Amino acid sequence: MKKILIILLLLFVFLLEPKALVKPTKEFYVNDYANILSNETEEFIINHSQSLEAKTKAQIVVVTVLNLEGENLETYANKLFNEFGIGDAKENNGLLLLLALDERLFRVEVGYGLEGILPDGLTGRYQDDYIIPYLKENKWDEGIKNGYSAFYKKICEEYNIDADDIVVQQNDNENIGELFFVILYSIMFYGFILGHNFYLAKKNKRYFPSIIMSIINILIYVLIFFSKYQSFIMLWVISELILFFIGINSHNIKNGGSGIYFGGSGGFGGSSGGGFSGGGGSSGGGGSSRGF
Amino acid sequence: MKKGYIVLGVIGAIILLGVIYGVSTYNSLVSLKETVDADVSEIDNQLERRADLIPNLVNTVKGYMKHEEDVIASVTEARANLVGASNIKDKAEANEKLDQALNALLVIVENYPELKANENFINLQDELAGTENRISNARRNYNEDVKKYNQSIKHFPKNIIANMFNYDEAEYFEADESKKDVPNVDFN
Repeated sequence: MKKILIILLLLFVFLLEPKALVKPTKEFYVNDYANILSNETEEFIINHSQSLEAKTKAQIVVVTVLNLEGENLETYANKLFNEFGIGDAKENNGLLLLLALDERLFRVEVGYGLEGILPDGLTGRYQDDYIIPYLKENKWDEGIKNGYSAFYKKICEEYNIDADDIVVQQNDNENIGELFFVILYSIMFYGFILGHNFYLAKKNKRYFPSIIMSIINILIYVLIFFSKYQSFIMLWVISELILFFIGINSHNIKNGGSGIYFGGSGGFGGSSGGGFSGGGGSSGGGGSSRGF
Repeated sequence: MKKGYIVLGVIGAIILLGVIYGVSTYNSLVSLKETVDADVSEIDNQLERRADLIPNLVNTVKGYMKHEEDVIASVTEARANLVGASNIKDKAEANEKLDQALNALLVIVENYPELKANENFINLQDELAGTENRISNARRNYNEDVKKYNQSIKHFPKNIIANMFNYDEAEYFEADESKKDVPNVDFN
């Protein structure tokens, strides 16, 4: 009889337990319940969140769950946020990044204190630009790390904290082919022009145009070097060398040579207008919704 | 003589206890009422923010939609009603109407892919969604606090104190069920 009573009592207690939200893990900053993050990313997040909290009391927490247990995303995120108590109690400067795997939903929940720095529209744009494109390709780890970095950097900026070690990548997969051709085009143009100019300079003893060209060439080299497309540098250098020699000997290529020359000048206009400046700013990703 | 003192003492003690009870009840009512008022102002803030965002949204949308004047007009009208609403019940109803009008608008937006990809529009939509989410949280807080407050002013003997100091029942933030003409469907 007693046993039955105890069992009944336990059952009762079990039923009474409010439907489970996940509980914060020991690490607190990372709660990977869907088990989709790599150890490196977790460590990265923990380290950065720790140092951020030490300096500003602001907390960034990442939570991944398998599903929302039938709850709606906004309510779930809000409950989780308040239950975890993310951010300083007085300053309310907490930030929650929540991913629900089954529903394929992502939400950024901002504490009161950070609403000024991170208005809703901005958090949406950050998601579109830095997170959702990766999640669409099931690259959870990359998307979350990149999105985390973007928000981390933004918060650091606001608190005047150095965050130069953080690299945020804009997902430019769609443009990369285009960019490749623009670069290749300008490579061909500059290599040829340089070579051709050195040939002319040697012939006419007029060095000025070739010096100008060299300077422009070096500037572009520097631009590429500091952009994120550094993998093109080797290709660039090799092509330059080959085309330089073709250019030097361009007196051997008669009509064909000048044909390349004019084709190249078109490429020049294109590259300075669209390619290089566009590579930095880049258009935001197309996706508008935060399902993925 | 001695008996009289005792009776007087007992009566005095009862009055004193009554006064102490009255004061503490009064104080608790004051703080409950204050919580409710704070909740109201939070709702008001967010409703105002929502009303402020609508004209921007309408302007952005207008540039893309040439033949949807009706829907746009209904959003503008619903917004005007929200701004004009003065008491909680009216505000809740106006807010609900605005929900419906906006949802109707968002359904049509689906036919304008360029608008959907417009950065300004995406931004506004996020701001609106955030505000709506805050409204629903503020509304939940408010309704919970109103429930506590209403219960305490109705229960005996607190109701005596509440009556003495004119503490009236507070209204819930919810639209009148009978006035809902269209079922509220979330198209997101």
